[in-house]
Amino acid sequence: MLALAITNGLVIGMIYALTALGVSLVVGIMNVVNFAHGEFYILAGYFSYIFAHTMGFDPFAAMFIAVCAVFLFGVLVEYTIIRPTYGDELYSLILTFILSIVLQNAYLLIFGPYPNKPPNWVSGATNVFGLFYYGNQRLAALAAGVAVIVLFFAMLKMTWFGRMIRATSQDREMAELNGINTKRLNMLSFGLGCALAGAAGVILAPVFPVTPTAGVPLALTAFVCVVLGGMGSMRGCIVGGLILGLVENLGAAYVSTGYKHVFMFIILILVLLVRPSGLFGRSEA
Amino acid sequence: MKKCRMLICLMLATVGTVLLLGPALAADTIKVGVVGPRTGGAAATGKAFEEGIQLATEYVNAKGGVLGKKLEVVFEDTAGAPDKAASGFERLVTRDKVVMVLGESHSSAALAEIEVANRLKVPFVVVEAWADPITAKNYKYVFRAGPSNSGVVNESIAKWVAHEGFKKAYIVAENTDWGIGIADLCKAALDTIGVEYGFLMTERTSQDLYTELNKIKAFNPDVVLAFVYGTGLHYLVAQAGEVGLTPKAAVLDGAGPPSLWPDFWTNVGDYGDGATFVSSMHEKVELTELAAQFRESYVKAFGKSPTDYKSRSMFDAVLIAADAINRAGSTDADILVDALEKTELLVTRGTARFGTTKGGPEYHHWMPPMLIIQWQNKEQVVLYPPDAATGKLKR
Amino acid sequence: MNRNKWLLSAAILAFALLPLGLGTYHQHILIVSLFYVMMAASWNLLAGYTGQVSFGHAAFAGIGAYASGILATKAGFNPWLGVMAGTMLATAFGFLVGLLCLKMGGIYLSLTTLAFSSILHIVINNEYEITRGTMGLQVPGLVAEYSKISYFYIFLVATLLVLGVIYRMVHANMGLNFRAVQNDERAAASLGVNVVRVRVMAFTVSSAMAGLAGALYGHYLLLVTPQIPSLDQQFLVLSMTVIGGLGSFVGPIIGAISLEILSEYIRAYGEYHVLFFGLVALTVARFAPKGLVGIYQSARERRMQAVAKTSPAVNR
Repeated sequence: MLALAITNGLVIGMIYALTALGVSLVVGIMNVVNFAHGEFYILAGYFSYIFAHTMGFDPFAAMFIAVCAVFLFGVLVEYTIIRPTYGDELYSLILTFILSIVLQNAYLLIFGPYPNKPPNWVSGATNVFGLFYYGNQRLAALAAGVAVIVLFFAMLKMTWFGRMIRATSQDREMAELNGINTKRLNMLSFGLGCALAGAAGVILAPVFPVTPTAGVPLALTAFVCVVLGGMGSMRGCIVGGLILGLVENLGAAYVSTGYKHVFMFIILILVLLVRPSGLFGRSEA
Repeated sequence: MKKCRMLICLMLATVGTVLLLGPALAADTIKVGVVGPRTGGAAATGKAFEEGIQLATEYVNAKGGVLGKKLEVVFEDTAGAPDKAASGFERLVTRDKVVMVLGESHSSAALAEIEVANRLKVPFVVVEAWADPITAKNYKYVFRAGPSNSGVVNESIAKWVAHEGFKKAYIVAENTDWGIGIADLCKAALDTIGVEYGFLMTERTSQDLYTELNKIKAFNPDVVLAFVYGTGLHYLVAQAGEVGLTPKAAVLDGAGPPSLWPDFWTNVGDYGDGATFVSSMHEKVELTELAAQFRESYVKAFGKSPTDYKSRSMFDAVLIAADAINRAGSTDADILVDALEKTELLVTRGTARFGTTKGGPEYHHWMPPMLIIQWQNKEQVVLYPPDAATGKLKR
Repeated sequence: MNRNKWLLSAAILAFALLPLGLGTYHQHILIVSLFYVMMAASWNLLAGYTGQVSFGHAAFAGIGAYASGILATKAGFNPWLGVMAGTMLATAFGFLVGLLCLKMGGIYLSLTTLAFSSILHIVINNEYEITRGTMGLQVPGLVAEYSKISYFYIFLVATLLVLGVIYRMVHANMGLNFRAVQNDERAAASLGVNVVRVRVMAFTVSSAMAGLAGALYGHYLLLVTPQIPSLDQQFLVLSMTVIGGLGSFVGPIIGAISLEILSEYIRAYGEYHVLFFGLVALTVARFAPKGLVGIYQSARERRMQAVAKTSPAVNR
């Protein structure tokens, strides 16, 4: 029981971290909390379902196209909706909140109320260390999720674009003085944030089929993750995700299954009381 | 100054628009209202209701309509929320002037609606809301032409558990009124037949159930009675297979429709084989000739075979309503109630007949027969009741 | 000024007489509109005047409704006492949540209130024995004989009370403080405005108003359900305020009434209505961030300018 709760906590935690990464990136660079993050996640799930299931593409090609499409959609949203809100974090919050409701209802209209699931990559389950059975698709999703996270951090550390992102999220004015076109950077990083949501979506849709409103609890967890780790801190976001996953599963195993989602909010409030800037946040303000 | 002028404009505008929202013009149709979730988490049920309404109105109007006029159905969205349901019900009566209301699949919404029905004195035939108190309140204007929690548990589930000789059961319920309510009835019924059981509650939005399922696995049950609706059930069946809970234990879907949804198989994969569920409809076993007719016209109208049995429940309800209006020869509420009480109509699920003994949930309730079905090689095999059974439980 | 008062009284009187000639369906719309006026106006006090976007406003209404309903059904309280107790409990919770996160400002408040509302939702669903979960808690009415007219007047009095308090707050000295807090925290602080105190104050008062509105609404519907503290409800309140005009006194009133009436019209479109509602809200929020009031004002200004140009002799 304990072994499973911990393993599952880490796997689910990695999933939370992956979903939260996009939120964290956009918060760090643009100071915008994208309330519709969960809906981008769902959109990618739908895209990969349509490309793979309805149009008969190879599942992996379908996933790739889906993430690209969500990236483009994200750029479009940034251009049309988010751009006039720079500097007013609450205005962007209100706009993305309305956007999330609009998208949920648009999905309901277009894709219908039933869950949609792209094909599995693998099937069956594996007996882990003789302790418990674990679904193969979940293990594959875990591997893919870790790969995306590693790639993302490598890009952040090693590429010129990554350096630009880090510079801007540390000091926007300084970055502008150094000749970074922040307008274009904003557009790209918002798209990238959405693409990260999309990556999480295509990786997870075979495990958790998508429905029009399934993005809401996921986005909520992502926000908690970001606050827990410290606004805009990518490292904090990963640690936050793992903590949430563990707390939730240990709580469900030993305390109460009905209250499993409350545990993470309690942790959040405790952290805010003790260390308001989050685990890895810069303590300003 | 400016503010005052705006306020005055505003108030005048309000008066104007409120007056514009005048009652709909009377037409030469007789209107029956339907309440149900067209948006929100259970929008799939609204879709099924819509299909049932379409087929039923065509059927009724082809046979001459009601009282020489055409039957018209007005479908009001409740989004599955009791407060919206109550005001939607009221709107149907006060604005659309419907003579009778049918429908609902959320017990919470239905319990709010029966209060309005009773206050406004409008006959209300509940279709797919299962909570016992709906008819146990013994309201004069409230009927139910569909299953109730206690009916499903006592007539089907508990008897089936005893029939199969299960020794240990595990009850899983989502934290909704339906889940918790039916789980409580189930506990009582299992106590009576002497079956040992465990119980846990799941959070409705949970997608990951590994920890929960391993708790269940540690209990080592013969059967898992799952009262989880919608996608949650798909997660449960798929993940129960992954963690190795099935096929040792059988999983029963205590609601039914999710196991029949078009994407059940894509969502659960091979783990769906061996899953059992409660249903009032079977793809081959038809209880009446009308049921076969319904299937035929459904395929013709929608180009697929019916899956969610709630479309057929709604079909039956519209037929019952039309029959009552015709026999009453009037749209007066009290005469309609009288006619409904005397209903003796062959519909797709058998002969509809409302109970008249007061005191319990049987009052004004017609409990259609429910089947327990297992998926075996993607074929539906009826396990219970024995006289309709087409096969035995496979594990 | 005197003339204004007369006009205002006349307008209120006209509104108060309005339901007498209407059927119950229209009376219902008016009552629900008044509920949303209270919700939107009090949310606006927070979001529009101090710049704090709370996603827990509907949750506070839920606290008011549940506290009052539970006291009435389980402890046999008089519903009016229950409404008072519910309002007080919402005030207390508002104060605590306000203290918890107002120091951190902005987005933290939004996300913490969101978390607060989720916790409340889960607790309501799980503590089925007390709250009746999704089934909803059936509560007694405020008046012995159920009549829409009496509810209309109860809601009208409550709405006028809420609006009166808000008007006083934003037009008194404190209002200046409010605006200062929104525009520039540091500057406000250096001017001697206690930023945290003003914010906690606004948050508490606004939560109390939501609690009052929620408690009354529950006793009107005779049913308290998790729908009252839901995110959907929060969306409605937010859209109404934004469409009407964030940060203006009349904005939320216009928004609440016009959107409630609009939603009655578009309800006919069944499953499309929420989408349509959302698209309207998104368009207004994006292209006219000051809402209908903003549109009206800028149109007026343009007209004034035009007048000023054509007759340069007139000195405005």
